[in-house]
Amino acid sequence: MKTKHRIYYITLFSIVLLGLIATGMFQFWPHSIESSSDWSVEKRSIRDVPVVRLPADSPVPERGDLSCRMHTCFDVYRCGFNPKNKIKVYIYSLKKYADDLGVPVSSTISREYNELLTAISESDYYTDDINRACLFVPSIDVLNQDTLRIKETAQALAQLSRWDRGTNHLLFNMLPGGPPEYNTALDVPRDRALLAGGGFSTWTYRQGYDVSIPVYSPLSATVDLPEKGPGALLAGGGFSTWTYRQGYDVSIPVYSPLSATVDLPEKGPGPRRYFLLSSQTALHPEYREDLEALQAKHGESVLVLDKCTNLSEGVLAVRKRCHRHQVFDYPQVLQEATFCLVLRGARLGQAVLSDVLQAGCVPVIVADSYILPFSEVLDWKRASVAVPEEKLSDVYSILQSVPQRQIEEMQRQARWFWEAYFQSIKAIALATLQIINDRIYPYAAISYEEWNDPPTVKWSSVSNPLFLPLIPPQSQGFTAIVLTYDRVESLFRVITEVSKVPSLSKLLVVWNNQNKSPPEDSLWPKIRVPLKVVRTAENKLSNRFFPYDEIETEAVLAIDDDIIMLTSDELQFGYEVWREFPDRLVGYPGRLHLWDHEMSKWKYESEWTNEVSMVLTGAAFYHKYFNYLYTYKMPGDIKNWVDAHMNCEDIAMNFLVANVTGKAVIKVTPRKKFKCPECTAIDGLSLDQTHMVERSECINKFASVFGTMPLKVVEHRADPVLYKDDFPEKLKSFPNIGSL
Amino acid sequence: RGGSCSWGTCFDTSKCRGDGLKVFVHPVTGPISETQRRVLASVEGSRYYATAAAKACLLLLAGQCGREPLLWHGGRNHLVISLHAAPCPRTFQLGQAMVAEASPTVDTFRPGFDVALPLLPEAHPLRGGAPGRLRQYSPQPREALLAWAGESGGGPPAGTDSSACPWHGRCEQDAGAEQTHPGDTLPSATFCLIPGRRPGAGRFLQALQAGCIPVLLSPRWELPFSEVIDWTKAAIVADERLPLQVLAALQEMPPARVLALRQQTQFLWGAYFSSVEKVVLTTLEVLRSRLAGAPAHPWQLWNSPPGALLALSTFSTRPQDFPFYHLQQGSRPEGRFSALVWVGAPGQPPVKLIQAVAGSRHCAQILVLWSSERPLPSRWPETAVPLRVIGGHRKASDRFFPHAAINTDAVLSLDAHSSLSTSEVDFAFAVWQSFPERMVGFLTWSHFWDEARGGWGYTADRTNEFSMVLTRAAFYHRYYHTLFTHSLPKALRVLADEAPACVDVLMNFLVAAVTKLPPIKVPYSKQQEAAPLAPWGPGSTAQPQSQPPVPDCINPMVAGFGHMPLVSSRLRLDPVLFKDPVSVQRKKYRSLEKP
Repeated sequence: MKTKHRIYYITLFSIVLLGLIATGMFQFWPHSIESSSDWSVEKRSIRDVPVVRLPADSPVPERGDLSCRMHTCFDVYRCGFNPKNKIKVYIYSLKKYADDLGVPVSSTISREYNELLTAISESDYYTDDINRACLFVPSIDVLNQDTLRIKETAQALAQLSRWDRGTNHLLFNMLPGGPPEYNTALDVPRDRALLAGGGFSTWTYRQGYDVSIPVYSPLSATVDLPEKGPGALLAGGGFSTWTYRQGYDVSIPVYSPLSATVDLPEKGPGPRRYFLLSSQTALHPEYREDLEALQAKHGESVLVLDKCTNLSEGVLAVRKRCHRHQVFDYPQVLQEATFCLVLRGARLGQAVLSDVLQAGCVPVIVADSYILPFSEVLDWKRASVAVPEEKLSDVYSILQSVPQRQIEEMQRQARWFWEAYFQSIKAIALATLQIINDRIYPYAAISYEEWNDPPTVKWSSVSNPLFLPLIPPQSQGFTAIVLTYDRVESLFRVITEVSKVPSLSKLLVVWNNQNKSPPEDSLWPKIRVPLKVVRTAENKLSNRFFPYDEIETEAVLAIDDDIIMLTSDELQFGYEVWREFPDRLVGYPGRLHLWDHEMSKWKYESEWTNEVSMVLTGAAFYHKYFNYLYTYKMPGDIKNWVDAHMNCEDIAMNFLVANVTGKAVIKVTPRKKFKCPECTAIDGLSLDQTHMVERSECINKFASVFGTMPLKVVEHRADPVLYKDDFPEKLKSFPNIGSL
Repeated sequence: RGGSCSWGTCFDTSKCRGDGLKVFVHPVTGPISETQRRVLASVEGSRYYATAAAKACLLLLAGQCGREPLLWHGGRNHLVISLHAAPCPRTFQLGQAMVAEASPTVDTFRPGFDVALPLLPEAHPLRGGAPGRLRQYSPQPREALLAWAGESGGGPPAGTDSSACPWHGRCEQDAGAEQTHPGDTLPSATFCLIPGRRPGAGRFLQALQAGCIPVLLSPRWELPFSEVIDWTKAAIVADERLPLQVLAALQEMPPARVLALRQQTQFLWGAYFSSVEKVVLTTLEVLRSRLAGAPAHPWQLWNSPPGALLALSTFSTRPQDFPFYHLQQGSRPEGRFSALVWVGAPGQPPVKLIQAVAGSRHCAQILVLWSSERPLPSRWPETAVPLRVIGGHRKASDRFFPHAAINTDAVLSLDAHSSLSTSEVDFAFAVWQSFPERMVGFLTWSHFWDEARGGWGYTADRTNEFSMVLTRAAFYHRYYHTLFTHSLPKALRVLADEAPACVDVLMNFLVAAVTKLPPIKVPYSKQQEAAPLAPWGPGSTAQPQSQPPVPDCINPMVAGFGHMPLVSSRLRLDPVLFKDPVSVQRKKYRSLEKP
């Protein structure tokens, strides 16, 4: 198999090479582009770039060291200066290199590499101070090995001012190797330099050191395949200088600076005309045989395309594919298929992968040992199917076992990968730097979900901060926090009542009156648990939700200084319920939000309803972490708004907890008449009508700040197991419920 | 060992095509350690076990000494498990065999081919295992930030302690524990520093169990099951050359991250590491995932509770199909249920029950599981929803078979004797939609520790708490049928078939082991007498006394699970206005209050 491949490649290469010479086209990709150094600080014209002569005997770096890992070959001390867990990247200034005889080592810089350097220089990673840099990027373009003089390029690298065996240097290469062997990593000797390469195999990829990157497809920039929404089909098209897909990865330059882009009509997930499509040209004959056989067996549902043989003048061959005499537009035809094959060519990395993802077609990767782009962080199982090369003939039946709903998700995922990480050189460059950044500052690394979840999932998903199913031990008890202003008599009654609750472990009084001192120590009720008074600097409602250091238990009972109608059994039971639902607000009076169809806005409801969506925090248990969230992570201006309006802190807390956990509140125990529980702070102001209007306004305000209505409506409340059952009262654990 | 082996080149998947992953264990020659014995027992007890080498596609070798075994074939399709340094030298080449080794060095580990195992202490239990130590979400207020574990199991040698702590004087030195006594001195700190060299690997598991977030400094060994477990969610891997930055990062770590990391340590410990059996089953599950190809086990199933051993990818690979991931997916369970009515010995179609249930607007269909000797009746009540009859095999465990006809997320499991009103069904279903991973039922039992008998017991007496709901009237997710049938050890299912009263206990054990939470009880208007303990026993229609002589199912099940999974609850979920002094006209579920 191996030698057969080799002979085939050699023959093919020779033919292509002859063809090249015959046509006299020596203009290898990438093209040199005029005025391309605008990323550099000096903004010099490319013509003014200094020329560096490389003596024939100037040093050549060692070949790449395959044993390199971050902790052996990377000098992490250079990254010690960088604040905010962000690496700093320096770009060497642009130079032209020539050998002893004055022959240029390479054509200066391709459009793509220029874009890449520009993207880095415009990012947060960039620094122009070489002494503070953690990573160095040469201005020597090695994206395409075909354009390189290997030894001389290596010499050019070695004379960079901070080269130091390539330590902390990052090279970008998309087309590695050369005929006939086509190594899967750049052949330029580079010693310890990191390689961001397109087309690594497991043999050349240094796990955790190199970065596998996509092979950029120029069609990404010029062809618009919208995922959703109808669009008119326009004629025309254009593409850049990436021509290696033409023949056999050996480029035949066709540069056509067309400008118009192509819009395609909607092609979301769902059934498409072809089940399986192969669009690559210059496939290995054995593969083509396998594919032809598949097509013969499965008929219409399989489409195998090849390059067109007799296109008329002026038609761009890269934009057409043919099946017998039928001509298809490329890449548009990819949108007609559910699965699209991405077969290994001479090189492992194929730009067709990018086109396939862009079309929302599920790539079927048939390239053994290929390291998929950004595989360190991207979960390719969600977007692609990998099939071993020897199983190519079974590919149809393998794919048939994928359930339809899974296919739709893979299509969406494929499209998202393209949008986020493939669609531009900039996206590729920034993802590469982010991966290296994550390795150096792993404790600040981007999570799996952030890398992989499409925006729609990110938006609708909830990650509960208290996700572990856990019932906290009863022994820990709870801390009661009483917010008070100056109603001392009522406060003392509350303290006395609450202190009877068996699981109370500490009582914290938040004294919110700056004009008056709290009563002397001797006047306070004597209770069995520690009582601590905290004086606040300002009379703000949010003081009740501050994460005081004095709170040592996980459970907090927020209680107003006038809630004297709750029995000890009711409070103890509330704590027990919280233990079973430690990630929720567990409270006594329940409230509801309703959609007012006439006014087209939310309305607050406190009547006897069959549903609840909020509990008042005048008496509620919750986890102390929510105090931290309320104080430091409340979205928008809600916290200040609540303090300014002296109202709705409880609604804000309900929004916050529901939004972060995705769960409903738990109301405990039967309904009882609370003495105006919602107007504790300012006495007398509780004209019911205005109060309800204000509360409704709060709900509408918060819903707009949160950008959604997080509150969840439920029809249940929690009672003791034997509540109101026909059972001897004295045998019940919490007999004194609903009695006051 | 073949350095160039990969899954594609050195493993012949064609042998696994028929029955999937089947594992044959080579007969052991020579001495064998206790842990190895447990490894073999776990494989033999698993659903992957094959009794003959010819039926297997994977051959397993544990603790082989001396010469290569028969049928070695150069190691092809072999897995060599080595949890500890071999007690005796191996004289043959590993060839194409995969190696599942405890804490393998990164230099020789072949990703995607070898499997990295945890370094287990000698006395690691076979089943169940100690639960995670964490009892609260956030760190204790005065808890140490960082504990530093010594290099060797028996504590650091004198003189090296202070130098090995990269932050002078700021490490909380923990006493060190012998590996044979796991859990004796679990570190109590928010973070646990694990040195990069291999002996530190033993500490890693201890830290995990203790809920102490492991901070690994440039580990030279592969983290266990790194192929499927996302360790960035439970541990900090940092460069040992930047200790000050690491310390600063730990001190400044946002509370949200600390919370998440702590919880993840506990989940991973309980899901994959707390027993030898879990480690072995996880290893086999990793291999099965590889066999299944691309869409096998999504990341989420491995990395969020209850974990991939309990969220079977054979059921579905879409997280939304399980009851566990609705919040993360932004999805919700379906708004309809299938009623599954078991008709046993008397063989009377429960007309009233069927009509009451079919009256619920959430009812999608009624499935009658006919397990009576009597012929099927020709007439069935007219219902607004489809009614289908499924022939049963007259085994108690039939109730929980994943019948293809069950096509809704929710199942309402019923018994011909059950009596429910439409209102009760509606309310219970509304509650279930808030708790799709739990069982929501009407009748309850509770378990207790019986000091006198030195074992577990359970009672149908009405008490202030409960830990089981009867499946003769309960809502639960249909996934539990799959789990019941395909993941439970066969011995336990046989036990349930022989003593039908046990089938309820078994289902409750299973759900509790998955959720770690109690079931949910909703009000039941007819609950005047206690629920009999043996609802399907012979002649069990009426058991007058509350403690009939029932077979002991609970203790064998505790043994089978390796621990007591049941959790008690002290609450009942009632409608919001339940028995409140307000006009009945205002109440949605008023019929629940009828005496």
